[in-house]
Amino acid sequence: METTTIHKLENLLLVSVPRDLMDTEVLQLRRQVLQEIRRCQSQLVLLDFSQVDICDSFFGRFIQSMAKMAELMGAEVIVSGLQDAVVETMVELGMTLPNLQAVLDLDEALAFSRDNHRAARPSEQAETGQLENVAWADDLDLGAL
Amino acid sequence: MTSQTEIMQVHNMMDVARARRRGLEMACNLGFELPDATKIAVVISELGRNITLYTSGGTITIVTEDGPKKGIKIIAQDRGPGIPDVKSALTDGYSTSGGLGLGLSGSKRLVDEFDIWSVVNVGTTVTAIKWLR
Repeated sequence: METTTIHKLENLLLVSVPRDLMDTEVLQLRRQVLQEIRRCQSQLVLLDFSQVDICDSFFGRFIQSMAKMAELMGAEVIVSGLQDAVVETMVELGMTLPNLQAVLDLDEALAFSRDNHRAARPSEQAETGQLENVAWADDLDLGAL
Repeated sequence: MTSQTEIMQVHNMMDVARARRRGLEMACNLGFELPDATKIAVVISELGRNITLYTSGGTITIVTEDGPKKGIKIIAQDRGPGIPDVKSALTDGYSTSGGLGLGLSGSKRLVDEFDIWSVVNVGTTVTAIKWLR
């Protein structure tokens, strides 16, 4: 297995997903990401799929469950780097991954992260009703201080 | 050479990963564009995963047809418990393993021809063909 790298960049947790992960490694990666969300108090996780060239339904389920679990921890999962051949296959297979935000590259992810972080501050909460979850996570942070 | 056949034993996900990568390679060599070669690899992955999930092992055979009509045939064969209800198994969202239930129904969408032969307590053979256009 190629090593998974998880980096923290500002408020963003960067996860580069290796190709040809075995099922047990996929589950291990999911746990690792959840632990890092907690450790780094990250509100946004970027799963970078640029190394992945074969994505079957098990892998799709991993992305879905990863997003759901992160959400329950007050974080959001966004994806980047999905190749054209991969998305064509995923959608035809029937994996539409609803509600999953995708960004083009790291720059866009950072911009998204900064926007979200700003918008999630309690003082601005009223203007950005759709970001309630993130605001809630922020409140928790403040409480812990 | 008009035809090439490779038979691969499938017992675990490592075997499946090897088979799908070989499928991707053979499809690309035959002239498939990457999105279509990827679909072939994913079909191998789904069928191979079913073998590892439900049976003690089986084979995946990849056949390339390099005649006037070019294409790739994938045959996934096992002597497992069989599929009692093939029609349900081909329905989106139907799963007996807690998965997304897209393995068989989704694979069928990714290829041109798809056939399941299954007898309970005898085994299952799934044949999928994708033609090069």
